Amino acid sequence: MEQRLANSWRQTVNEKNFIVNALLSELRVDGRRPFDYRKLTIKFGKDDGSSEVQLGHTHVMAIVSGQLLQPYKERPNEGTLAVFTEFSPMADPSFEPGRPTESAVELGRVVDRGLRESRAVDTESLCVLSGKLVWAIRIDIHILDNGGNLVDAANIAALAALLTFRRPECSLGGEDGQQVVVHPPEMRDPIPLIIHHLPIAVTFGFFSNENIMVIDPTHHEEAVMTGRMTATVNANGDVCSIHKPGGEGVNHRVLMHCLKLAHVKAGDITAKIKDAVEIYNTQRALRKIKRHSSSVALDVGGTPAKSGEKQNQVDGSQLPQSKFKDEASSMECDATSSGQEQNNKRDGVSQKFIGGPSSWDPYSECVNPDLLKASLASHGPATQRTQKGSRSETKAEEPPQEMKIDSSPTDAGLAAAQNNEGKTLKDAVKPKNKRKKKKVSSNSGN
Amino acid sequence: MEIERPDGRSPNQLRPLACSRSVLHRAHGSASWAQGDTKVVAAIYGPKSGTRKNENPEKASIEVVWKPKTGQIGKAEREYEMILKRTLESICIRSIYPNTTTSVIVQVIHDDGALLPCAINAACAALVDAGIPLRHLAVAICCSVADDGYIFLDPNKQEEEKMKAFSYLVFPNSNVSVLPERSSQEGGEPTAHGIITSVTHGAMSVDDYLHCLERGRAVSARLSEFLRKNLEPKSSSESSRAG
Repeated sequence: MEQRLANSWRQTVNEKNFIVNALLSELRVDGRRPFDYRKLTIKFGKDDGSSEVQLGHTHVMAIVSGQLLQPYKERPNEGTLAVFTEFSPMADPSFEPGRPTESAVELGRVVDRGLRESRAVDTESLCVLSGKLVWAIRIDIHILDNGGNLVDAANIAALAALLTFRRPECSLGGEDGQQVVVHPPEMRDPIPLIIHHLPIAVTFGFFSNENIMVIDPTHHEEAVMTGRMTATVNANGDVCSIHKPGGEGVNHRVLMHCLKLAHVKAGDITAKIKDAVEIYNTQRALRKIKRHSSSVALDVGGTPAKSGEKQNQVDGSQLPQSKFKDEASSMECDATSSGQEQNNKRDGVSQKFIGGPSSWDPYSECVNPDLLKASLASHGPATQRTQKGSRSETKAEEPPQEMKIDSSPTDAGLAAAQNNEGKTLKDAVKPKNKRKKKKVSSNSGN
Repeated sequence: MEIERPDGRSPNQLRPLACSRSVLHRAHGSASWAQGDTKVVAAIYGPKSGTRKNENPEKASIEVVWKPKTGQIGKAEREYEMILKRTLESICIRSIYPNTTTSVIVQVIHDDGALLPCAINAACAALVDAGIPLRHLAVAICCSVADDGYIFLDPNKQEEEKMKAFSYLVFPNSNVSVLPERSSQEGGEPTAHGIITSVTHGAMSVDDYLHCLERGRAVSARLSEFLRKNLEPKSSSESSRAG
């Protein structure tokens, strides 16, 4: 044990004096001004509810997960929120694995207080069955690299993860309405948490000279500073929590100045978090539409076959997008009913498809040519029917056409099929009213 | 009959690999390794003085800490730590720094199948980044056996659950000689060609296992090329991709 402590980093007296002297002239060792934040980068992982934040050299990861558990007895109608902090030994040579140290516990408590006491996360919406089952949200914060100011970075990571977390939708069922059914994400879209405001933690460091104060200290500065304060403020100007655990005594005027600064910084950081979450949400929506669009293509190739032979439907489902089989089968059920939402989805889908090959799934291989000819042949009579149908259904022909167009260059044996496609290709390019006339002529030509 | 994998890969095709070195600033060496969606970050601190009680003080020892993405540390994590420790001890030259401990910390960022091989690859790259002297590099691969005896490489999580059995295999990397003629000869001098580590899950026949070994060794050549290219000292960027 002593050997390990001997190996941890100790700051030299020269370093200390250098840092303090530089601060006397309002310069910091990394070139910042005293009230500047380091560069903040927010990234998200593949799953909902996982975020990675880099604040200068500090690297923190937060993961949000939810479970259905019993609520606390005093609060039967509210969900629960728990923050777990892991000071991973990879972040700093002095961090030991095992029980959390007091600084880890302190960090967890500061983040927790900012979220819980200020009611940033709406816990009443997490209640499923009053007194029996509520959603218990668990935030795991992993510190990967300690470059100083872990509290701020961990707070931002936790907020970003909470904003992108989606919990599965559940409904009450059963005879007495007491059974809870949790719908898997493939069946029903998971829903986001309700977050009222974003409490941002801003950490200040005080040095032995009363007038020196810095924001966002690095770990070198943390070893020198004699007092610290973390103010958790939101963009509306509400102070959610102030945490000043002992240390150097500070004049109240300095404290007021700190709070004003914290308000300004909170506004900046809130804007950055919201931008990052926006980008993630649009990417997520695009990913979902890509999945649905490939499955719609699969489906439309399959539905005219349904009217024809049953065999084609089986072949249709064996097309390379077998990954989307589950969604395709559910989409097929919708297609037979041809409800409003299906048409809306197809509208959205076909608009995306105007991009063509760039939105195409790169993993699909070339289509079996016999399969293609068979489905095209059965697709022919279907076009007559669909042109009389709603406008959106004709648009739905674009996806399978584009699909076949993309795959035909890869398979030379589709030359015959391409002639058949030649007329429908032109139809895809020409505007809709002209397209209908073309179809009539092509059908009369047939 | 053509076997189709859910994401469209062929049975011998690996997922896209991505490796970055020096991702952390405090650690002495660090690397992140991603195979498809499975991503692991490894950090190395060391060598530090002193060994633990049960370790042999005449040799350098390695201590592994495995951090899962979420949840408590349980028996599975301890098993991973033990396998990683033994694997890395066999590739390090332990006689150089006796009575020291090198800490390897592995953090799981995302688990989408073949987690242990990914971690072993990340730890090996991190060891190189830290400058710890190694005998040779280790490349790890996961081979899975389906019910009909067909072998798939690098399964993702869904595939792993459906397979009859799968095995994690670690091979030493293929050697490239300084003299250009020698490197083309395969049956040159007998350096380490053996399997460093093999962990299997599920029951498979002996033939299946031997096929896994063959396939694994064939792929390890590709992986070691990628690893070698990636670990070359670069002037500017720290990350590279291969697919």
